[in-house]
Amino acid sequence: MPFLLKEKEANMKENVTSTTIFLLLLFLNTNLLNGQSAPGKPKIEKCRSPEKETFTCWWKPGSDGGTAANYTLFYRKEGESLTHECPDYKTGGPYSCYFNKKHTSIWMIYIIWVNATNQMGRSMSEPHYVDVTYIVEPDPPLNLTLEVKQSEDRKSYLLLKWSPPALVDVRSGWLTLQYELRLKPEKAPEWETHFAGQQTQFKIFSLYPGQKYLVEVRCKPDHGSWSQWSPENSIVIPSDIKMKDTTVWIFVAILSSVVCLIMVWTMALKGYSMITCLLPPVPGPKIKGFDTHLLEKGKSEELLSALGCQGFPPTSDREDLLVEYLEVDDSEDQQLMPTYEKDHPSQGRKPTQLDPDNDSGRGSCDSPSLLSEKCEEPRIPAPTFTIPEVNEKPDDPGTNVTHNWDPQGINFKGKNPYFNALGSKSSTWPIPQQSSNHSLRCSYHNIADICKVALGTVNGPTVSLGKEENHALNYPTTIDTGGEETTDKQNELGHFHSNVDQGTTWLLPNEKMPFMSPRPMDYVEIHKVNKDGALSLLPKQKESNGNTEQASAPDSSKEYAKVSRVMDNNILVLMQDPRAQTRVIFEESAKESPQPLQHNQAEKNLSYCTFPPGDCRLQTGGLDYLDPTCFIHSFN
Amino acid sequence: MCPKGSSVKGSLLLLLLMSSQLLSRSVESLPICPSGAVNCQVSLSDLFDRAVMLSHYIHSLSSEMFNEFDERYAQGRGFITKAINSCHTSSLSTPEDKEQAQQIRHEDLLNLVLRVLRSWNEPLYHLVTEVRSMQEAPDTILLKAMEIEEQNKRLLEGMEKIVGQVHPGDRENEVYSVWSGLPSLQMADEDTRLFAFYNLLHCLRRDSHKIDNYLKLLKCRLIHDSNC
Repeated sequence: MPFLLKEKEANMKENVTSTTIFLLLLFLNTNLLNGQSAPGKPKIEKCRSPEKETFTCWWKPGSDGGTAANYTLFYRKEGESLTHECPDYKTGGPYSCYFNKKHTSIWMIYIIWVNATNQMGRSMSEPHYVDVTYIVEPDPPLNLTLEVKQSEDRKSYLLLKWSPPALVDVRSGWLTLQYELRLKPEKAPEWETHFAGQQTQFKIFSLYPGQKYLVEVRCKPDHGSWSQWSPENSIVIPSDIKMKDTTVWIFVAILSSVVCLIMVWTMALKGYSMITCLLPPVPGPKIKGFDTHLLEKGKSEELLSALGCQGFPPTSDREDLLVEYLEVDDSEDQQLMPTYEKDHPSQGRKPTQLDPDNDSGRGSCDSPSLLSEKCEEPRIPAPTFTIPEVNEKPDDPGTNVTHNWDPQGINFKGKNPYFNALGSKSSTWPIPQQSSNHSLRCSYHNIADICKVALGTVNGPTVSLGKEENHALNYPTTIDTGGEETTDKQNELGHFHSNVDQGTTWLLPNEKMPFMSPRPMDYVEIHKVNKDGALSLLPKQKESNGNTEQASAPDSSKEYAKVSRVMDNNILVLMQDPRAQTRVIFEESAKESPQPLQHNQAEKNLSYCTFPPGDCRLQTGGLDYLDPTCFIHSFN
Repeated sequence: MCPKGSSVKGSLLLLLLMSSQLLSRSVESLPICPSGAVNCQVSLSDLFDRAVMLSHYIHSLSSEMFNEFDERYAQGRGFITKAINSCHTSSLSTPEDKEQAQQIRHEDLLNLVLRVLRSWNEPLYHLVTEVRSMQEAPDTILLKAMEIEEQNKRLLEGMEKIVGQVHPGDRENEVYSVWSGLPSLQMADEDTRLFAFYNLLHCLRRDSHKIDNYLKLLKCRLIHDSNC
């Protein structure tokens, strides 16, 4: 009997153990099926205030927190010790807490945390410190409108308008908003952003017509974050502008082509005249007024008048022509044609278009043809210097110049009336007044003037001729031109001419010399006139056309040769200037050795020119240059 | 001839004097009224525009300075937890939301602004001094601190002018909060010292924002009749 009882007790213990184990296993399985555990730690993600008057916080549940957990949010404000729970879990959506105006304080730190509770336990998030001041992020702007408008100058632009978000209080100044917009053509990849400041409208120019544009706008408070972009708005730019541009360009193209055609036509028709207008042809050499037919006819007066030898003395504005100078022609077959052959009273200018090449020394009336054809006509060339008898007494008793031009001695044959006129005038020629011991008057004339004076002068003030220089002239008293036949004189003059241009100087006795217009001729300068009437010439410095002055004087200041004497009544013998190395010497005449004595005298007598007191300067030594105007005035 | 010459000389002299007066002032602070003018009537609108400009600028600088300091020195130190209720100006009862700010009278609000501004004169001065001596401080922070100190003085002048125009005669005694954080700034312990700086910059950022907000409210209220 006791054996059976022991067996029953063992069976009962086994049953209890297995049941317990079974129940435990069942319990565990049940728990595992339900998923119950302590919630994970939530995390507060973001808090945001749209208008700085309310704010919302969002949290994220913990990783292994199930849906069954309850989340509660608590907060504490800075400076307070009370803990509050979230007033609104719904407005902000799931896992959010919305703080309305009553519960929102600015410039105060909120300490916020979230509790997650479930059946298994609870967990708490980290505290989150937030100051509403710095979490302001407004809503996007509203009511974005687009409109294409035309400005005054017919330019079209896009006008954007919008309004601030609804909740933001801008009117009281609680928030100050700044806006930004962006636009792009529909298919473009990138946006073009523009900052608009605090204004609620914007103009955009230079958009492509015919395109569809998309526009968005956003805003930012003065010390907050940018809002999201507003919903997109689009517009299509009308394309009528394009047509207008095309029309304008077509019109411009047509107009320019018409203008080009006109220009081409004008060029074709009048090209030549235009070219001549732009590039005038170089005029050929010709004597103005010279008519060959008249020459053939033999009407010298008309020819000469036609040549325009008028107007002596020259009264023009050219100051350099105030210097009278004697023009000496160096061509052998040419005679010196003094300009007095022209109209005597007129003191016109010789035209300057004369051929400079071979007309040197020639008066304006001179021309090879003229001279050759009128060889028998009386000439009154420079040899008339030589022609007049230097018999007259000089008006200045003490001067070196003692010759007078004897008008009667000049035989003017021929038909040249000028000579006669000059001759008639000679008697009335004013006697130069001299105010000093120097008897010679210095005046400057061209050859024509000299000739005139030669014809008409009573006294013989020496005149130094030169290229724009005034020199006292010494003319030899041996110059005898009186009574000589002009033809002879011409021949001699021709000789003379050939040598003259190198530096012969002419002595012109005149107080009032008509001016001849300057021509590109060689002028010889009369150095001075000594008491014997020797013509002192200074050699020309420049390159001699002729033969005489090969070794021209190195002293470039001197262009004068002194006439030492006249030989055979028709040859001027030049002296060598001691200052110059070489001297011009006549070919025909014997080479005269330089006469330094006379030269020296000549040099010393340079300053014998008299000047009207107060008008001209008396220069001593060297070459004296006198302004002829002073003579003219003094004579008057 | 003589009177003409003297009048010309006199006008030239006057011109010279005026130009020297204008030039003697620094370029940055264009005077609203030349010194010596008793009844200078610069408009209130211009005064407010200028004040708002200055306050906005000061807060921008403060915000940048705080962010820079926070990133550089305060990461992981948990300073924010300690910087609760630690500003010396918290004793000044300032409005804490829009309703309170709109309910307060503008004279009181102006006086409040003046008090806050005055409370920051000394702390700003010491901030500059201590930042300068702090070798590890970058130049940007120092420059901003100096600029803030300078502009704060100008804003104070402007506000006093505004107060003189808005409600003259209601001159209160100079009330302001005393700042006593200097010893903390000079502590040898780096953590303590850095927290002192952090706290100072934190409070500066907040107060400059308050001033800016109050002035913008006042401007819209007084100048634009609450219709900005």
